[in-house]
Amino acid sequence: MDLVQQHTWGWFIAIYLFFGGLGGATMALGILGELRFKMGKWFGIGTAMLGLAILSFGLIWLVLDLIDPFRFLLAFWVKGIGHSWIARGMVIINGAYIFGVLYALAAFYGWETFKKWMGYLAMFCGFGVTTYTGLLLNANVGIPFWHTPALPVLFTVSAFSTGCALLMWVLAALKSHEADHYFHFIEGFDIFLISLELLVIFAYFDFARLGNAAVMKSAQLLLHNPMFTIGFLVMGLIMPLILEAYASTKEHSKGLAVFASLLVLVGGFLLRYLIVWAGVFQYPHGLAG
Amino acid sequence: MARYGMVMDVSSCLGCRACMAACSQWNQTPFWAEDFEGKWRTRVTPLEEGKFPEVRKVFFPTICMHCENPPCHSVCPTGATYINKDGIVLIDYDLCLGCGYCIEACPYDARYEYEKEDLEKDEFYFGEDARHHQVHIDKCTFCVDRLEEGLEPSCAATCVGHARIFGDLDDPNSEAAKLVNSGKAKPLGEYMGAKPKVYYIK
Ligand code: SF4
Ligand code: SF4
Repeated sequence: MDLVQQHTWGWFIAIYLFFGGLGGATMALGILGELRFKMGKWFGIGTAMLGLAILSFGLIWLVLDLIDPFRFLLAFWVKGIGHSWIARGMVIINGAYIFGVLYALAAFYGWETFKKWMGYLAMFCGFGVTTYTGLLLNANVGIPFWHTPALPVLFTVSAFSTGCALLMWVLAALKSHEADHYFHFIEGFDIFLISLELLVIFAYFDFARLGNAAVMKSAQLLLHNPMFTIGFLVMGLIMPLILEAYASTKEHSKGLAVFASLLVLVGGFLLRYLIVWAGVFQYPHGLAG
Repeated sequence: MARYGMVMDVSSCLGCRACMAACSQWNQTPFWAEDFEGKWRTRVTPLEEGKFPEVRKVFFPTICMHCENPPCHSVCPTGATYINKDGIVLIDYDLCLGCGYCIEACPYDARYEYEKEDLEKDEFYFGEDARHHQVHIDKCTFCVDRLEEGLEPSCAATCVGHARIFGDLDDPNSEAAKLVNSGKAKPLGEYMGAKPKVYYIK
């Protein structure tokens, strides 16, 4: 076997994967706050628009990564929808924009039933955006470290964790009983997500330990990279978990949780970048030239 | 309708790389690229096989395997990558978004980017005869334009050692089909499930 580290996708794709997931999760969790936690229409509208703005920022990098950015309109030609995750992602992203905007309009004008429907559809598309980014990498059969069901789970969990982190900033700035209540819900949810992420990471590396040569190579690249071990695992997962768990037991400790959420955001980005970077092809011997 | 494939007889390859030259001239692929190994539709890689003292040097020819279940095709969002009636995997340059997804998905390293600089060089070297006019992802086409004229792919037609045996795998009388059906020629990396139609005799 010839092992070759992939070099087609790099920073730009990682930035997109991060902001795409963050935007989708922010919108889904924000609308949830309005629909289920009485956060009020402006919170719903604001977070939906914030989520879409973040997603748009991510998409800019995706377009810049094209061999010719001016060809981006072809992305709307989704003939490969039956099998391609970029085509399916395009539909999901468009759904997120359409339902997100309709939800915001309905919330603004107070069309309650329509708002609920649009809100749930927008949440579903937001969730779809967080998930498809992992499925997108997953489809590459020649890169065994990506071609595992753990990856979409990891990306989804991590995206929602970053979404929680961002919402904690927003909620910490709002002074209301509902905001406090939702803040604590999000904080608890994030503690759950980070714990789950640690479990998935553990399972991922345990699988890699017994995997084929390319999987092991990817795992080694990551484990020997301090950006992964110190930057992501320690500073981006374990530290925020401890800080958030501690903060959740104390009153008036939003500052600590907000600081922890900054670490979560940086960790979420590092995870995307490093997983993309550590993609290793396993070519049959003689092919890599 | 045919089912075109190729058999690579590795032991007959002299490593002269005439196939690479012929292909890059016919298809105007970036032989000018700085990274000499990077942008070829076909490559011949020198390999050392075995362990000392039983070592031998072989030359290993590779191209797009024109897979029957091609991952490059499954990931392509716009339908730019398609399979023609003769089982040849092709790219419609007008539809290619240039996302590079197919490069990542191909488990045989068969694809590369035909970039703006390459278009300029193509025009510089070939003038009015330049065949590439827009950026796209590029790979072997089994010289589909030559097949239409009743010619073999240019690599097979040029091969000095008769290491590249091209033919219709559905025609039991073709030399390629005979080698495949006898079990002598085998595909690479079968476990990846792409069902390649390029076979190897090692
Ligand atoms: S070898 Fe690669 S480019 Fe060629 S058909 Fe198979 S997957 Fe596609
Ligand atoms: S680069 Fe072109 S051929 Fe390849 S997957 Fe994207 S659109 Fe399809």
